[in-house]
Amino acid sequence: MDEFAPLDCLLPSGKQRICLAILNQPIDERYFHVLWSKAKIRACADGGANHLYRLTEGRRESFLPDYINGDFDSILPEVKEFYTHKNCKLMETPDQDLTDFTKCLAIMVEEIKAQKLQIDTIVTLGGLGGRFDQIMATVETLFHAQKMTDLPVVVIQDRSLAVLLQEGRQHRLNVNTGLEGKWCSLVPVGSPCLTTTSGLKWNLDNQVLAFGQLVSTSNTYEDHDPKGGRKPVTVATDKPLLWSMGIKPL
Amino acid sequence: MDEFAPLDCLLPSAKIRACADGGANHLYRLTEGRRESFLPDYINGDFDSILPEVKEFYTHKNCKLMETPDQDLTDFTKCLAIMVEEIKAQKLQIDTIVTLGGLGGRFDQIMATVETLFHAQKMTDLPVVVIQDRSLAVLLQEGRQHRLNVNTGLEGKWCSLVPVGSPCLTTTSGLKWNLGELRACRPQVCPPTQTPKHTHTDIPEDHLPVCTILFALFTWPVLVRRHSLPLTAQISSKHPLMLQLMQFVRPRFRKGSHLHHWV
Repeated sequence: MDEFAPLDCLLPSGKQRICLAILNQPIDERYFHVLWSKAKIRACADGGANHLYRLTEGRRESFLPDYINGDFDSILPEVKEFYTHKNCKLMETPDQDLTDFTKCLAIMVEEIKAQKLQIDTIVTLGGLGGRFDQIMATVETLFHAQKMTDLPVVVIQDRSLAVLLQEGRQHRLNVNTGLEGKWCSLVPVGSPCLTTTSGLKWNLDNQVLAFGQLVSTSNTYEDHDPKGGRKPVTVATDKPLLWSMGIKPL
Repeated sequence: MDEFAPLDCLLPSAKIRACADGGANHLYRLTEGRRESFLPDYINGDFDSILPEVKEFYTHKNCKLMETPDQDLTDFTKCLAIMVEEIKAQKLQIDTIVTLGGLGGRFDQIMATVETLFHAQKMTDLPVVVIQDRSLAVLLQEGRQHRLNVNTGLEGKWCSLVPVGSPCLTTTSGLKWNLGELRACRPQVCPPTQTPKHTHTDIPEDHLPVCTILFALFTWPVLVRRHSLPLTAQISSKHPLMLQLMQFVRPRFRKGSHLHHWV
């Protein structure tokens, strides 16, 4: 079975072929350059364009997104005008039932197909901070994403990464990139999850993770021989389960 | 049934004040120059976050330091457990437990905050409200109808209902997008089958429509219109339901007779 390294995308030497979505949160500059340079498609969801515009001041022409989508209630007029003028695709997606992030991913999945790209991971900057309902909406988008694509959708902000592990599978997570922080976590956001893990300091052995019963936060990796690498973390779950982990300061 | 105003807690003063571990560092920093006027009743935790100088200062000032090393529960959960005991022991009349922090920073700790709210429901009937930046969150108990007074003047533009942990069979009224009769469970987003309800000034509060719905997650901002009657959002749910309320904004208009527009 395949192994997936969540933090591979942040390694300059990483092997994953990625696409990048930028959301309406301050952009971590440490991550931005690595991700932007590797990404085959780069997109902004609405106000994400404001943050891109601000971050790339002085050299904006070198950092033009392939498209910006949204209902455009967050993007600033000068930002919208700039990117329109530079011929970035501006795609108005007014559907009120779906967030800008969900719509951004939907377009990305279509573009990947249309351009016949070989992609391993969709990486998102932003989504885990700010307004609390929007953090929850990010999690909701990860559920939608599973219906849109088999590709893992990874969300990164500050020093947290989150990815929704599909149900009915055993996942092998490579946590040996050297970028892993101290903590990791498994959260049954949508429903109780019957879970078995290995490679964690506190493993689960066919146990139910559920809010009000048992939620794994502030977990960490099992001790390992410093000369060898960490063994992969394995997670088997019967329902979608949210994995999150800390990122070492770059 | 009683009404609960989530943002009312910003007004009165606290009867018990506590810090969970590193919370003491933030209190120490914030109150520089007048720390003696802001001494917590207790600080609990495994003390892996509190700075040595901070711990020493509060110990010296005779604040209770309560080491709670249990590794299965977070400092926040343990802080609440102590608080519930203290309220009983001191026979205090308390309406709400308010928490500063918990909705930002490390993502697993945001999730842990939500988990603590579930635990809290087993410890006490008091609402536990969590506030950080411009978000407030509270877990609505299952099997009850909740009436939320959203007329303090501090409410921001958005509100949200999130079925954390399991699907929720839910009824609401008073929201811009109430949900109609739909079968739904996570992870679907259910669009409303009804047009947004507008409440009129001449409809008495107890005639506000309440409809039974199943739903998953609102992802769009929900606007609350104010009018001269206290507008309440009525929510009942068969499973614990997390309500995230509103930013705080400084009131830009007077309460009472002033109507204002849907944004």
